[in-house]
Amino acid sequence: MKDRVAALLHQQAVCYRLQLKVLSTSAFEGFLAVLFPLMFATAALLVYRIDGDPESMQYAGLGAAIMGMWTCQGVVASSLLSRERWAGTLELLVAAPTSLTRILVPMTMAMSTIGLYSVVATIAWERWVFDIRLEIDNWFLFVVSVLMAAVTLATVGFFLSVTAIRYRTSWALGAALEYPGWLLCGFVIPVSLLPDWVQPLSWAIPTTWAMDAIRASANGGSPWADLAVCAATGAVYAVAAAYLGRRLVDSARRHATLALT
Amino acid sequence: MSAVEALDLGRTFRTQSGLLRRSRERVEAVRGVSFTIEPGELYGLLGPNGAGKTTTIKMLITLLLPSSGSARVLGHDVVDDVREVRRRIGYVFGGDRGLYERLSALDNLRYFSELYGVPPREQKARIGSLLELVGLTGREKERVEGYSRGMRQRLHIARGLLHDPDVLFLDEPSIGIDPVGARELRATIGSLRDQGKTVLLTTHYMFEADELCDRIAVIRAGEIVAEGTPSQLKERVGDGRVVEIETYGVPPGTVDTLGALPGVRSVAVEERGQQQVLIVSVEADAEVTQAVLGRLGDVRVGRVAAREPTLEDAYVALVTGS
Amino acid sequence: MTSLRIFFIGGLMSYRAMFGWLSPWILIPSLVVSPICQILLFAYIGRSAGVRDDEFYVIGNALNYAAIPCLFAMASTIEGERQGRTLGIVLTTPARRLPLFLGRALPVIANGWGVAMVGVLAGVALLDVEIPSGAWPALVFVVVVTSASCTGLGLAMGAVVLRVREGATFGNVIFCVLLVFSGVNVAREDLPGWMASVGAWLPLTHGIEAARLLADGSNLADVTGLVAREVGVGGLYTVLGLLLLRYFEAESRRTASLERV
Repeated sequence: MKDRVAALLHQQAVCYRLQLKVLSTSAFEGFLAVLFPLMFATAALLVYRIDGDPESMQYAGLGAAIMGMWTCQGVVASSLLSRERWAGTLELLVAAPTSLTRILVPMTMAMSTIGLYSVVATIAWERWVFDIRLEIDNWFLFVVSVLMAAVTLATVGFFLSVTAIRYRTSWALGAALEYPGWLLCGFVIPVSLLPDWVQPLSWAIPTTWAMDAIRASANGGSPWADLAVCAATGAVYAVAAAYLGRRLVDSARRHATLALT
Repeated sequence: MSAVEALDLGRTFRTQSGLLRRSRERVEAVRGVSFTIEPGELYGLLGPNGAGKTTTIKMLITLLLPSSGSARVLGHDVVDDVREVRRRIGYVFGGDRGLYERLSALDNLRYFSELYGVPPREQKARIGSLLELVGLTGREKERVEGYSRGMRQRLHIARGLLHDPDVLFLDEPSIGIDPVGARELRATIGSLRDQGKTVLLTTHYMFEADELCDRIAVIRAGEIVAEGTPSQLKERVGDGRVVEIETYGVPPGTVDTLGALPGVRSVAVEERGQQQVLIVSVEADAEVTQAVLGRLGDVRVGRVAAREPTLEDAYVALVTGS
Repeated sequence: MTSLRIFFIGGLMSYRAMFGWLSPWILIPSLVVSPICQILLFAYIGRSAGVRDDEFYVIGNALNYAAIPCLFAMASTIEGERQGRTLGIVLTTPARRLPLFLGRALPVIANGWGVAMVGVLAGVALLDVEIPSGAWPALVFVVVVTSASCTGLGLAMGAVVLRVREGATFGNVIFCVLLVFSGVNVAREDLPGWMASVGAWLPLTHGIEAARLLADGSNLADVTGLVAREVGVGGLYTVLGLLLLRYFEAESRRTASLERV
């Protein structure tokens, strides 16, 4: 039993390391995944700057730091399997005896790593360009909340990426979700400002709760309730993805879409 | 227990074309293919492009669900016992794709060894010996994006062997490879069989099938039209001769008129640069040269030669349906 | 008359080829949903920060997103010429050069215009935007001019991409630069001095300003200065692009630099 756990961890670690290597050496997936949200964050902060209210600068600054994680998970993750398909490796992944879940999890974790890098880069950028020093009351809780955001975003990314097994064009879906995510998760716009009918959509995304938790840790409040809901919603995506993944692979085998470009 | 058993395998594809006026067609890529491969055999699936070779292989390696029929690999059903099948087989295909371009060969092999469940302790040794087997030692740290087609192909084979599978499926492995590289590849494939592995090889190069395979199945338009050892297949045209006539411009209809001559089994035309070479397959004792030349009339004729039939002639006869 | 044929027919042919691989599932999210989302994003940021009104952000972002087809479609067209080995022909065919290239550009300009107009109309429908009916003809005209000038930038970018290769990354970076520097979400007087100066040399900047003035009730005569400047900037990039193409093509005849895939 111990051997099997050790082998599993080894597999996850090696696959994670190598997928991270593939991502970080790509201009489009590495560099741009960090730059694009950074520029949008800059544009948002330029607007808030006109108002000049330090509290809203803090608000926007904190959210802007996390925005990049959504890009990495939404856009890049959903095109993950499409890229495998174009490279001709999707078939090999499916034909391997390891379950698809064990193959996809380290991939999305690698993506989350890029996302975390984006957080650090954005905070540094904000300090340098806008002179925003983020006031964090409880650094430990802050880091825990950011990690929770990364993990739950990985489950969302995992969910989005399995659709690509069956549908060749689902990478476009992920790309199309980038902006809606920025709108809905409360990064630079308070959820309460959105129309009432839209707000349940925000609550269905674990990142919204993670963002609330992050703000709570920064302001000295308690993030635990938000973290609990975040974890629960994230788990729903993970379970849905695992289930859907298996069904979609079978469907792909039936309809022969694994090799098609 | 046989290594691979295909029973009446069939696969139909539904294709859609056009955006506004969607026309749906059903294409029967594979219809009722049956064969058995014994352990340790190097079995060839030989056929022209589009005959259904790749589709057949993909059904056997569990990437495609058969529309009809069944198959077993090492006793496990390819539809129900998917994981058991995948553990014991290796899949190698020709072409440029199928590798992580930005990773080195070593990293690619490390990645796939994890996926194939190679125990961590054995990985280093296994990867090392496989790199040596395929002749890539010393270049394993380079990124795959800089590899030539031949090197990629060899890396593919190394990848397919990582978990020491009992059955190896090779789909057109020498496609697009230069003659020297292809020869080395064939030597490697031959040595696999010598190690006791069962190999299913698809190819459209008949000399490759002739050289390597213990038995060959000739597949055409989704059906197997002949099966046997290379010598058995040659025997089908063996007790005859082949007359090759170089011509410069053969008028249409010639093939039919010549084919109607007594003693002639089949006629094929091969373009060789400026010439069109008539390849006339004749019965053993038939003397048809004069009759053929007579029928050709005013057509300018070059060399005329008679030779023994080869596997290629048998193959051409089988796949052109004459 | 022949020049006119080359202008229209030649342009349409190469444009269609590019879209051969795009299905409606990709086109519609990219060019309709995404700009609307970007408009909503910044309109709400504006509301949250209490800066300007919805109309300001609708016009800015609608025109910003028009850059996407202008940049990418133009770069694709040029790449298509390179792949078809017709680049040399296109550049050296005597006397037909200009209508030929302009013909390639026309569908692109139309595409950009379409995306911008859809954005504006959506903004009017979904947000608090009121544009006087008399302003529309002038607005439509200004959007055409802006789209044309952006296509000029697309030409220059397309030329660079021929040699630099990472087209998708480059295009996105330019899009981000336009977002931040062209006054898309921040009026020129509110931008830091150096940013406004950079913006003056980019397409979109003057067009956006003119469009905003028109939507606020000015008439065409008032904005001719801005329109002229927009045309000038666009012309500048067009000339630059053609020169670069000439240079790269000549270089390629010596070193086969354009033959690499």
